[in-house]
Amino acid sequence: MTNTTSISGRRNFLQKIFGGAAVAATAGSVVSYAAASPDTKAKQKQYGMLIDTRKCIGCHSCSVACKAEFDVPLGATRSWVEYIEKGSYPNVSRNFLPRLCNHCRHPQCVDVCPTGATYKRQQDGIVVVDSGVCIGCKYCIQACPYDARFLNPVTGFADKCDFCIHRVSQGLNPSCVNSCVGGARIFGDVSDPNSEISRLIATNPVTVLRPGKGTEPNVYYIGADHSGEHENNRGWYDVRVTTHRRDKDRR
Amino acid sequence: MHELNWGLPVILYLFLAGLGAGAVTVSGSVLLRKGGFGSSRFAVARCGALIGPIPVMLGTFLIVFELGQPFRALNLFKVINLSPMSIGTWLLAAFIIFSLLYALTFVPPSAGPGDRLAGVRRTLAWICVPSGISVAIYTGILLGAMPSRPFWNSPILAGLFLLSALSSGIAAIILMGVFFRRKSSDPDIRNDYHNSSYLLTTSDALLLAGELMIIFLFLLFAHLTIGDVKYAVEVIQSGGALALPFWGLVVGIGILVPFIIEIIQIKPKLLNGGSFNPTPAMEVAISSAILIGGFALRYVIVVAGQITAPAVL
Repeated sequence: MTNTTSISGRRNFLQKIFGGAAVAATAGSVVSYAAASPDTKAKQKQYGMLIDTRKCIGCHSCSVACKAEFDVPLGATRSWVEYIEKGSYPNVSRNFLPRLCNHCRHPQCVDVCPTGATYKRQQDGIVVVDSGVCIGCKYCIQACPYDARFLNPVTGFADKCDFCIHRVSQGLNPSCVNSCVGGARIFGDVSDPNSEISRLIATNPVTVLRPGKGTEPNVYYIGADHSGEHENNRGWYDVRVTTHRRDKDRR
Repeated sequence: MHELNWGLPVILYLFLAGLGAGAVTVSGSVLLRKGGFGSSRFAVARCGALIGPIPVMLGTFLIVFELGQPFRALNLFKVINLSPMSIGTWLLAAFIIFSLLYALTFVPPSAGPGDRLAGVRRTLAWICVPSGISVAIYTGILLGAMPSRPFWNSPILAGLFLLSALSSGIAAIILMGVFFRRKSSDPDIRNDYHNSSYLLTTSDALLLAGELMIIFLFLLFAHLTIGDVKYAVEVIQSGGALALPFWGLVVGIGILVPFIIEIIQIKPKLLNGGSFNPTPAMEVAISSAILIGGFALRYVIVVAGQITAPAVL
């Protein structure tokens, strides 16, 4: 039932191309597709995260918990916290922006993967990397608008946040949510209108990162400061972004 | 600092694959076309066919070993999907096989126009021309596919890479021709040689003009737009980190200088019915400049795409 529901743009494209042939060849399955689709669309589970940056204190507990959970090699990060410092004395602010994989609805990394090693799971919408199939070509790392991916220096394969798949499949929260001292992170099924995360998204002004890229992220923010260093061009106020990633500016 | 996930091996691959695919495509088209090249047609086609597969295989070797675990590359052949890299892998594999077979038809000492391999050679040329164009063009699509990389995210990149590949292919053929052609005092043979050299040079001038046009459009539209692309293209505009290699090597040495010299060389014959007599030294200089420019183009574009990013988070 679930495998007839399209997730990625590529599959949509294939369906558009081969749709006609499929109608002629497999009328039976098309009938079941038509019957199943309104139903499955509503029930398609999609894990997501809401980060209330007003409650974030920039303590890096999430980053450290993530490092410990996955033994992430030195210099690499699946989860990190950016500091955005803005203004000139006395009108200044420092805002924190916790970052992780957005588990997008239209993941570009999946579209470009030549081996199918990275894919969006049908059962919960988590974007994963199958390190048994990955060849380490780094195409997905180039394609991610959020710079959420890195080449794991130990394994040589692409790596990134997977929403702690081993924990959430057991009904636990991801490690970063578990360790957040401010309670800034809410994890849950965004497709379920009755979940806590859905209620908070519905009742608060939320933003996602780089909405213009068409990825439709599933990590939402309350009170995120989207300022970047390109704003220094204007000369009105200073912006400094510290990513806390080794050798990395924000992409 | 931005990290360069795709470094020198990938840049060299893009250049070498384009060069080889261009040389084989030009060789195939020269072999298949009806008029123009006279008795030197076969020599020009052989030159392109024999050099073409070597850079392509060398470049492929470089990217396979760039993976760190080369045997993992076999996973690419377990699936085919709409990733430009997946399609490119299959195209590249087919191109290497067919261009090698095509090159082999030129190897026997008896090889010549109308020999017993002529039919096979023509069939392979018909396969090599479209697959060569595909290999040259897919490298641009590979980079252009990603909205996360505003510098690359343009359909015009594929066209630029195709023209640059064909131009590099012609440059390689001319360069090899200078070193390996048989010296002859027979006026007919010399005449044929000059004539084929003239046709290659005029084609090359046309390709370089096309490249200039694409670069002009690229910069014009970067200027006319606002947002991500405008910020990204600043890296090759004056004051940008890559302005010097772009304007000096890619545009200056790689395109403008050879284009102007070629125009000066072909003008007497093209417009006034005069003669075309380039000196070997000048041919070597122009071809080398085009090859340097072809490499610099891949270098600047691959690096520029990775050190720029969408402006707004």
